[in-house]
Amino acid sequence: MLGDLNNYLALAEKVFGVLGAIIYLIFSLVVVKQVGTMTKNVKDKFNGILIVFSYLHLMAAILLVFLALTIL
Amino acid sequence: MTRAIDLDTVAPDDLIEVKSNQNPPPTPSIEEMRGKEEKVVDDKVVEDLNDKIYGILGHTKHPFSSLLVNPHVFDFEERATEEKIILVARPHWFTNVSWVLTTILLVLVPSLLKFVPIISDIPAKFQMMGILTWYLVTFAFAFEQFLSWYFDVYIITDERIIDINFNNLLDKKFSEAKIGMIQDITSRVSGVSQTLFNYGTVLIQTAAEVSEIHFEMVPNPEKIIKVLQVLREEESNNAR
Repeated sequence: MLGDLNNYLALAEKVFGVLGAIIYLIFSLVVVKQVGTMTKNVKDKFNGILIVFSYLHLMAAILLVFLALTIL
Repeated sequence: MTRAIDLDTVAPDDLIEVKSNQNPPPTPSIEEMRGKEEKVVDDKVVEDLNDKIYGILGHTKHPFSSLLVNPHVFDFEERATEEKIILVARPHWFTNVSWVLTTILLVLVPSLLKFVPIISDIPAKFQMMGILTWYLVTFAFAFEQFLSWYFDVYIITDERIIDINFNNLLDKKFSEAKIGMIQDITSRVSGVSQTLFNYGTVLIQTAAEVSEIHFEMVPNPEKIIKVLQVLREEESNNAR
């Protein structure tokens, strides 16, 4: 009985973790899109660096989903 | 009756050109000469205008400066081909202090949590995931704040004033008014930090569709007003 409860809790933790990470991944995709729109509208010296940062953020979000799937 | 010979070879329609090796240089037409003269005059006017603007604001010191005078790299999508950017203003650097301090605090939080005894009871995998998520969210927060500042630009060109504002992730606001449409300019500096660091809001009332354009939290509002006055004088001189 207690073992089942623990299993359900572990499953719930995993589902919440993965869902949270996927939502964050969607947010990071929006950030990439937003930076793209901004840099297209306003061109300045550091636009390239900002685009790189947005993609690094996206990669970190993908890593988070991967970790949520494997570790949790 | 069939044509035995192509008539064009017997009596060609086109005039025969006599080609000489020494072609004289093409003489410019009156329109071309007038165009060149006008361009020279325009360049002189732009140069004088630049000198006046530099006289008021000085030269840009670094790329993150809140005031970019006559920028060479900066551009925006809606700019007309012949339009010249005279000044780009961003909110004063001091407006970033609050989010920079918040970010520093957020970065320090995980190391402070080590002193909370309950945290050690949480399994290591959750701790790791939690810390990673925390730093990612902190980065996203700082990045968003920086983007809001960096892309919140007020542009003065030789033809119009423009306010480009990205309020949040998916909201872009573009307002513009012709220099000749400007009716009234006022500035407002209020509060301790604004008075100390000399930044504030420039309110520009126009006769355009957008009745008021705000340059918010810009440094040296009085100098920006002077620049706008110079441009209005220039515009009225051109109109005569």
